[in-house]
Amino acid sequence: MSAILKVDNLSYNYDGNASRTANALKNVDFEVQAGEIVGIIGHTGSGKSTLVQQLNGLLKPTSGQVLLSGKDIWEKPKEIRKIRSQVGLVFQYPEYQLFEETVYADIAFGPKNMGLSGGELDHRVREICDLVGVPESFFERSPLDLSGGEKRRVAIAGVMAMQPKIIVFDEPFAGLDPIGRSQVLKMIQDYRAAYHATVLIVSHGMEDLAVLCDRILVLNDGELVLFDTVKKVFTQAELLRSIGLEIPIIARVFEEMRERGTEVPEDIFSVQDAVSFLNSFKQGGGARA
Amino acid sequence: MSTMIECKKVSFSYGEENEHRKIIDQLDFSVERGSFTVILGQNGSGKSTLAKLFNGLLKPTDGTVTVDGINTRDETHELDIKRRVGMVFQNPDNQLVASIVEEDVAFGPENLGLDPSEIRRRVDEALRAVGMYEFRESTPHHLSGGQKQRIAIAGVLAMQPECIVLDEPTAMLDPKGRAEILKTVLRLNREHGITVILITHFMEEAEEADRVVVLHQGKILADGAPSAVFSQDEILHTAGLELPQTTELLVELKKNGWKVETNKIGIEDTADAVLSALHLEES
Repeated sequence: MSAILKVDNLSYNYDGNASRTANALKNVDFEVQAGEIVGIIGHTGSGKSTLVQQLNGLLKPTSGQVLLSGKDIWEKPKEIRKIRSQVGLVFQYPEYQLFEETVYADIAFGPKNMGLSGGELDHRVREICDLVGVPESFFERSPLDLSGGEKRRVAIAGVMAMQPKIIVFDEPFAGLDPIGRSQVLKMIQDYRAAYHATVLIVSHGMEDLAVLCDRILVLNDGELVLFDTVKKVFTQAELLRSIGLEIPIIARVFEEMRERGTEVPEDIFSVQDAVSFLNSFKQGGGARA
Repeated sequence: MSTMIECKKVSFSYGEENEHRKIIDQLDFSVERGSFTVILGQNGSGKSTLAKLFNGLLKPTDGTVTVDGINTRDETHELDIKRRVGMVFQNPDNQLVASIVEEDVAFGPENLGLDPSEIRRRVDEALRAVGMYEFRESTPHHLSGGQKQRIAIAGVLAMQPECIVLDEPTAMLDPKGRAEILKTVLRLNREHGITVILITHFMEEAEEADRVVVLHQGKILADGAPSAVFSQDEILHTAGLELPQTTELLVELKKNGWKVETNKIGIEDTADAVLSALHLEES
């Protein structure tokens, strides 16, 4: 496999001020393979949002590189805008940035800026709406008339309409209720499946990341402390807690059971896995052991 | 206990042309002084509108809301109501006005025209109550989300309200920030006797409440102690809420034939319930 995205020894200081450490990045080094879903976790101020803004050239590294399919994204600084249609970035609360008069115009904005027009543009908008469940009845409505969850989906569809091969989400579930959250989760999975896209997600929702991701990248004070499979990351409760993070809630229940003398595994992260484990554990008379 | 807030047949709709679409629909509801109530509901359930009706930011289209016996429609007592019921919103950045923490907290009391020494006393007390006294000379935008939200709460506390209404105060915070806010709110209720109304769609935040109210399409679907409300999974499902994963685990085990108690929320209680069900099967 070849890395679609490589972050090579990247450091970044705001205002070029090396003494200001909040949100800065220090020697961050990692590779993401095509088609992977990677979760990014870290406490507030750990540099997560700074990192994702490096990936599509909104911020420029103080030192080090971001390589897209082996090419430095800053090789031709004047063409940095082209990178933004290849690496789509969905900001926190993207619905605050809806500004067009209609839902259709808002979703068309990105692909239009890429130079699409006419039938091609129309096709692009309809294709993404179809995929992620934005109904045609929304097209002529004002984005402002939609509910919070609907606005979020429209805003995400606007980024997806550019069909970026890498799509990066900064807290896509924040502020959504359970229904809204599962709809956004499904959008992300559907997009990835349809376009074989690579996905990076910044989130505080360890439970969501545990079921969604292949690997998890852990940031602390601007440094990469861990980048490994979900299983290897979420079994390091002590390390995660020492940097203000937590393991998924089901893993915490199992941890509590171990503390009370019942030997259950550390790598159970979802309700579904917990139920199947506990069913066979009960049959085996496990609690007597 | 006496009544802090009372809603009698309260309805609300935005604008006359929307008369048919009631955000709040004939709601009868009261909150006892000193209690900790959590109002749960999905987006669009009417919970934020209800919050604004509680301190007169919005007036009911029909029915009456009274705060400590004062009708919120009574404009001559507007200030009395706002002093009694303080509001904390979702986004801390929209609620902070000054560039120094203690100045921000002093903003409300200064507007009351209080004596400077009284303002000083109130600001210090409020910052101590939320555990932010040591940050009094910091700049708010250098603080974490949870810390900023605690400053917003201190700003409300400095007005010495009898009741605080928090509308999704943790929605924008990381897990640590969320825990800080819940701990702070619980302490204000338990130690300072402040009436707390916490509005959220995170069911796990209701664990410590005296009472949980489930709101759906402007009506109350369930109302009672957390363990009683959380065992009604059909109602919660109708309301578009999701059980905390702890409770969900127990409910799923029960569906698989386990003899297990399902009305638990906390990690320890859940582990206990699973373990005692395991031991029960064996004896």
